Amino acid sequence: MKNPQNDTGSKMGMWLFLLSEILLFGGLFILYSVYRFNNPQAFHLAAEALDRPLGTLNTLILLTSSLTMALSISFLKKGGPRRSLLFLSATLFLGLLFLFNKYLEWTWKVHHGIYPDAPRLLEREKGEVLFYGLYYSMTGLHGLHVLAGVLLLSVMFIFILRGNIHRNHFVPLENTGLYWHLVDIIWVFLFPLFYLIT
Amino acid sequence: MRTYILVWLMLVALTGVAVSVAGMDWGRWSMASALVIAFFKSGLILNYFMHLKDEKGSSLFKWIIPGVLSILILFIGLTFLDVAFR
Repeated sequence: MKNPQNDTGSKMGMWLFLLSEILLFGGLFILYSVYRFNNPQAFHLAAEALDRPLGTLNTLILLTSSLTMALSISFLKKGGPRRSLLFLSATLFLGLLFLFNKYLEWTWKVHHGIYPDAPRLLEREKGEVLFYGLYYSMTGLHGLHVLAGVLLLSVMFIFILRGNIHRNHFVPLENTGLYWHLVDIIWVFLFPLFYLIT
Repeated sequence: MRTYILVWLMLVALTGVAVSVAGMDWGRWSMASALVIAFFKSGLILNYFMHLKDEKGSSLFKWIIPGVLSILILFIGLTFLDVAFR
């Protein structure tokens, strides 16, 4: 199955997809920066209500999952499918943990009547409504990407287990890793923009 | 493997710096420092976890990635030329 040309091709395809993802989130980042520029005070007020410790915890979870992902790939290349599977499941677990924290965070917010188009939210200042609109759409889109990543990681787990992916054919796992790291990078920007406004 | 763990430690440390800077309330500078830290962190992830620094030879990485980033910066710049001077 070793075909260097195919490997380069699929990796390039993955990178092109990742770049289109950067532009997708880029558009939302532009929207965010314009609204924040026009409503600095309201963004500051609204962001204070976000759970900073939970956001920090989720940042550490994703950063650690990137480490376990990189280790899983490097163990597979060295011919250790068992260790590779171990670190892959760690990545999977951390991804699920991130989503679980996001679920808790959103439930609390919804419980306090802060969700898009909620009557209690609409009573507030326009800038705060915009902030929460962006908060839900941007972290929501990112959460969907994490969910897709978790599904992809599970498929990779089964492939390694069955021996479809091994030390001489590891590009699918590498591409999954690239996607997972990009999702991490997007969170690296979302975190300060929503949780660290002062 | 040691490199990966070192990079991870740096990422965790940078997160700590970003959170503590945000707690100190530097006014305008806290936004700038948070973004500088975020760019630095994504540079670490891109170069070490995604092995971008080993891909220097390929034209895709030489031109297309800077190309996409410049398009994004151009969009942000042009948007603010409009928004900031209204």
